[in-house]
Amino acid sequence: MKIPSRTIVALAALLLASIPVTSPASEVVELKLQNSNKIVFKVQFSNGSIADPAGQQGLTYATALMMAQGGAGGMSYAAIQDRLYPWAANYSVQVDKQVVTFTFQAPAAYAAEFYPIVKSVLLTPNFDEQDFSRIQKQQQNYVDQVVRASSDEDYSKFALEHLLFRGGNMAHLTAGTSAAVQAMSLDDVRQHYQRAFTRNNVKLGIAGNYSDEMLKQFKTDMGELPDTEFALPQPSKANTPEGIEVEIIAKEGAFGSAIFTGAPLGITRRDDEFAALMIANSWMGEHRKSYSRLYQKIRETRSMNYGDYSYIEWYSNGGLFQLPPSGVPRSSNYWAIWIRPVQIANQLKAQYPELADIAIGHAHFALRLAIREFDLLIENGLGKEDFEATRTFLRSYTKLYAQSPEQQLGWLMDSRFYGREDWLSELDSLLASATLEDVNAAIRKHWQTDNMFVTIVTDVSEAQGLAGSLIGNAPSPMSYSDLVKSGLPQEVLDEDDAVATYPLNVRKVTIVDSKDTFR
Amino acid sequence: MNQFLMAAAGLLLLLPGQAFADSDKILPYPIYQHRLDNGLNVVTVPFDSPGLASFYIVTRVGARNEVEEGVTGFAHFFEHMMFRGTDQYSKAEYAAALKSTGAAANANTSQDRTEYHMTGNAEKLELMFELEADRFQNLNYSEHDFKTEAGAVKGEYTKNFASPYSRINEKLLETAFTTHTYGHTTMGYFDDIVDMPNQFEYSKKFFDRYYRPEYNTILVVGDVTPEQVNALAEKYFGDWQRGSYESVVPVEPGQTETRFVHLQDGSIPPYFSLSYKGPAFSDEEIDMPALDVLSSIVFSPTSDLYKKLVLEEQKVRFIGGGAFDSRDPNLFTIQVSMVDKADIGYVRGEIEKAIEKLQQDGVDEAQLQRTKSYLKNNFAMAMDTPDAIAGSLSHYIQLTGDPESINRLYRLYDQVSQADIRAMAQKYFQSQRMTIATITEDQKGPFE
Repeated sequence: MKIPSRTIVALAALLLASIPVTSPASEVVELKLQNSNKIVFKVQFSNGSIADPAGQQGLTYATALMMAQGGAGGMSYAAIQDRLYPWAANYSVQVDKQVVTFTFQAPAAYAAEFYPIVKSVLLTPNFDEQDFSRIQKQQQNYVDQVVRASSDEDYSKFALEHLLFRGGNMAHLTAGTSAAVQAMSLDDVRQHYQRAFTRNNVKLGIAGNYSDEMLKQFKTDMGELPDTEFALPQPSKANTPEGIEVEIIAKEGAFGSAIFTGAPLGITRRDDEFAALMIANSWMGEHRKSYSRLYQKIRETRSMNYGDYSYIEWYSNGGLFQLPPSGVPRSSNYWAIWIRPVQIANQLKAQYPELADIAIGHAHFALRLAIREFDLLIENGLGKEDFEATRTFLRSYTKLYAQSPEQQLGWLMDSRFYGREDWLSELDSLLASATLEDVNAAIRKHWQTDNMFVTIVTDVSEAQGLAGSLIGNAPSPMSYSDLVKSGLPQEVLDEDDAVATYPLNVRKVTIVDSKDTFR
Repeated sequence: MNQFLMAAAGLLLLLPGQAFADSDKILPYPIYQHRLDNGLNVVTVPFDSPGLASFYIVTRVGARNEVEEGVTGFAHFFEHMMFRGTDQYSKAEYAAALKSTGAAANANTSQDRTEYHMTGNAEKLELMFELEADRFQNLNYSEHDFKTEAGAVKGEYTKNFASPYSRINEKLLETAFTTHTYGHTTMGYFDDIVDMPNQFEYSKKFFDRYYRPEYNTILVVGDVTPEQVNALAEKYFGDWQRGSYESVVPVEPGQTETRFVHLQDGSIPPYFSLSYKGPAFSDEEIDMPALDVLSSIVFSPTSDLYKKLVLEEQKVRFIGGGAFDSRDPNLFTIQVSMVDKADIGYVRGEIEKAIEKLQQDGVDEAQLQRTKSYLKNNFAMAMDTPDAIAGSLSHYIQLTGDPESINRLYRLYDQVSQADIRAMAQKYFQSQRMTIATITEDQKGPFE
């Protein structure tokens, strides 16, 4: 995967319209919980990595980290941490594509002592050289090494996003690109704070056991954020691929093939029909749920990997979280399939003598199987029984998203991003009133598999053969060990035959050296 | 004086740990325990979470119990098999029933235990009991399903081992432990995972040994009453038959010299860890509580070491350290991610200097009190959902079988003295008890 040149990025940025953000600093989401033993503040800026100036990818991230992990109010970062330590108070920042969210939490008993730190972090960050040097080094290290080396699954996910949005402001990692992070200066950060972290693009939230005086003070103080009229660029829309376009990232020493695939999606939580599509998506690939279709077909029946899921919006840290976290609202959307790492040929050959002659591992077969399942759903629709069971499940399950005060506040604030008061309760009503016809209409309207992007992080030894198999639409028979194959029912073997030759509309396959990604 | 300094001065007037209830129990909710005649312990913690409950079963079997040759990773593999159906609920029917609960349900395995958990609608509690009781007593899977599931474990290994940190951990454990089963990871060795499909008969034996009342604890937290939970436990688990198997885990001999392990990998920043043989968890001895307090003072982000190496000199990306809670003696590990490998010797030297200072001078009394306050407030802050409380109690159930261990542990934290910390530093931080693990781009480790 190649990063577009700085010139192209700059041109793309020029072509994007700007939307003035006019939300007043006084917009506050309040959630008073008298029995809570804590207080939670959230401050969400409408900026995110799309607010990075052209050629300065990662600047919003660096600015947010300089606030959350640097000194403030004349105190060093170490002194602040010392102060918070006995209370176990803490704060952190989450940087996503369209928003940056600061979260502060402390025992309610220490709210008054804690609050001045909240205020300083947001209003008077030190922005000193020593903090900048540390944070820039960490950020550089993340984009240069960590993102490639720590998880092939996340790597393929970020790579898919890069492919979907290539040329636009949603493409780059929130942490930026290697060259841009290297070129960043402390002055850039100072200027970006003044420009993009303002009273005019902020939303406030407070939850827990707080006083009216505290709330009033919080509102008043946040009015002192920079008063710049911030013009947030529009998020770029996902590109529409021509056919199925595959990018294989060849990496030395990869153990398996980690796969993500996706395509643009025109709706978000703002649209009522999103709830209907949620039902279809949950049935097909609810995150980390063993009873969803993809999981049953790929993992449960065929034992190909650890799990397989589908998504109709960004899901942060899927390997870590069972339930979706808040703080990642987006208006530029796509749907995706996550196929966790499957075996490569070299591994299978080493494990099973009967597979000594195979040319490629399981990636092509797994991709075919997943896409075929979507095609079958698009063609046949969801059945009545599955619709009822999945809707019932979701009406209970989505109530688990917001359990703690921090989670409740986070989901409420995200609701406002989508023009809703309380998405989770509105979602319940939408689910309750959704019909099978609504779901099947949403499936047909929003899902297709002819034009998709696919990213596969795999071992160097696998890349060439896999690329040839994909572009040639070559048969990709499933290669089971004899141990498993001998017990498989005939219907599974028959289905395997159908999958092995299932035509995919693959038009383009490129192989990229892992070293050339996110540069 | 700026506002922070003024506030900091005010802080001196506060007593540590006063943010939360002064009861002698850290958990501000009563823990109800009821033992069935068959030995199964049933734990209930009512919590104000309208309509919501967490249901856990803690099975006190993990990688620690994998004492036989060729079955590393089996406890974890067996956790997967627990989702493969019974005579009453086929795997498809089980999946459908589980879905109907609308719960967030999953399971995981560690060195000392396997944990099955569901959080969801409290009105579905009886269905949760029914499903769990059925599979814990009547699990019945085909040989083909057994062989098939092994592939999913291989997939899990494949995803995990993309990380060099997972790979060095496997090497570290097998080097630090020559005899005890903590010498292999919960995931197990790859060769054993590949061989799992051949262990069908052993899996039956495994279920018969460990999926018995005496190895398990039921734990329910949330919008429930102990009467309700106990009645459901009697109804669904009352007939569960006790077993007779006792796992004999080999004892690790004393270590007599520093050991080294190295992974050549230039894809991540240079890394090293110092792992000392530490104690087993105990809620009666002062060793582990003292080491917990010590690690927070010496190796946390507020420590002098962190400030110097990470914030000021910026030679280190991350440093952290702590003891691993487990049933048998385990490791106290200090981990460091470096900026530049040229500084690796210097950084190790700084850590050892900090340890020597600890052994000679102990820690500052004010910092000790602040740390005790931190530990209490940190715990109280985290206990805000049924799942968080259940997860925490499950941790102590795996260690001692008794959820009250949590309250005893925090009482011990209060008793930790400067002398205890100095004594523990002298007792455990000895070079002959240490294994050093390194990752660099070089073929040979920097300390060998």
